[in-house]
Amino acid sequence: MEKKTEQYDVVIIGGGAAGLTSAIYCGRARLKTLVIEKALVGGLATYTNEIENYPGFPEGSTGLGLMELFHKQAKKFGVKFKLTDVRGVKLEGDVKTVETFRTDYQCKAVVIASGGKPRLTGAPNEDKFLYDKGISFCATCDAAANTDKTVIVIGSGDAAIEEGMFLTKFARKVIVSVMHEEGKMDCNEIAKEEALANPKMEFIWNTTVAEFRGDDEHLRSVALKDTRTGEIIDVPVDTCFMFIGYVPNTEIFKGIIDMTRPGYVITNEKMETNIPGVFAAGDVREKFLKQVATAVGDGAIAGYAVEKYIAESEVFENQIMDKSMPGIVYIWNAVVPESRELLKEVEAFEEKHKGQVKVNKADVYKSNGIAVRLGVEAVPAVVSIKDGQAAGVLTEGITVESMEKLLGL
Amino acid sequence: MAEFTVDCLGEACPVPLMKVQKQMEKMAVGDVLIAQIDHSCAMKNIPEWARNNGHNVEIEEVDDGEWEIVIEKTK
Repeated sequence: MEKKTEQYDVVIIGGGAAGLTSAIYCGRARLKTLVIEKALVGGLATYTNEIENYPGFPEGSTGLGLMELFHKQAKKFGVKFKLTDVRGVKLEGDVKTVETFRTDYQCKAVVIASGGKPRLTGAPNEDKFLYDKGISFCATCDAAANTDKTVIVIGSGDAAIEEGMFLTKFARKVIVSVMHEEGKMDCNEIAKEEALANPKMEFIWNTTVAEFRGDDEHLRSVALKDTRTGEIIDVPVDTCFMFIGYVPNTEIFKGIIDMTRPGYVITNEKMETNIPGVFAAGDVREKFLKQVATAVGDGAIAGYAVEKYIAESEVFENQIMDKSMPGIVYIWNAVVPESRELLKEVEAFEEKHKGQVKVNKADVYKSNGIAVRLGVEAVPAVVSIKDGQAAGVLTEGITVESMEKLLGL
Repeated sequence: MAEFTVDCLGEACPVPLMKVQKQMEKMAVGDVLIAQIDHSCAMKNIPEWARNNGHNVEIEEVDDGEWEIVIEKTK
């Protein structure tokens, strides 16, 4: 198959709450925006039946319903969607490439909002039974197929217990393996009480998965290990539902983007990563709380930051690095008196060489983007531009004469 | 490179996935399967299964809540 190339202003990887919010901000700023989602638009939130804590919905909402509204809003602003997975990225430089199996998307900025994927136990034979072979991560998807059957749920967090209770509507018995001692669960108190009172639910405390057992076709049982005694308990089941948390979806960014050891992307408060023009938002970031509400906040910041980054890139290329005449850039900080003092020198220089030298001013108090692009850390500083290239830097003794000398006038 | 279509409209999980698996078995490497679905959970388990088996997957939203999952058999 022949590969196509398409151009966008920004490509957002991941169509969950964070990605969709970024898309809404970028689309509204009239950027040509693409969201790439590998499955269903809406991301992790679509796996949740009830979202009760997202503000603005006092009656609560289903995850899918809420995300459909996000999707609709993004579409309203002209955002394009492509439902496929990202194979690779080239993020260095001004033109970035996001590859899918059929198309290379070239863009000026990238937002990583790839979220997470279900964590695995790492127990023997796990890989043999994933998805259709007996280990599921989606009760909504596979509950009906387990009508009148026996299933096991691994985990005791909100997702595990809520999905487990949902499964009791279909399955004959729902066994829950909890790694904590009796009565201790990671989920909220309301879910815990309901689950403990549910006659179809049975709890096996102090256990973790030791091994998955089955034949070529399907999982047949899960061997649990008692964490106190080391005893192995063989539990025959039709399906195992696993809800033991998430790991970030960041394999394709390894070695390119700075991450924590478990693979979460490190950003600053502007959602900037270590590469200019690459931002991250939502669950994929190293952060304190992962919720739809916080993903939305990240997404808004990332979307706004993309817009600023692209606008600044245009100023940089068209004005600062203008090839038509030599120029100087005064890098200053409007709140520092010394910087303001020197502004007079720069303006005198500008007046004297009007029409021959282009003078630009970059206030780092507003944004340090231009200074970073010129590789200047000192403030105040003067950078000379010749033939669209930074030629020299002056950080001390900034006067009309020294600036003339710097430009060779 | 032959192209096949399975119609899973109106069918709930796990039927679409099972239909896709059956059809894929009959196909040769390089063939393309188009699964028509309108059940959102099939958007999770079909692409997951197909990618897990190394196939190429791309999805088109043909209408509101109606999708075509395009799978290229790679092995």
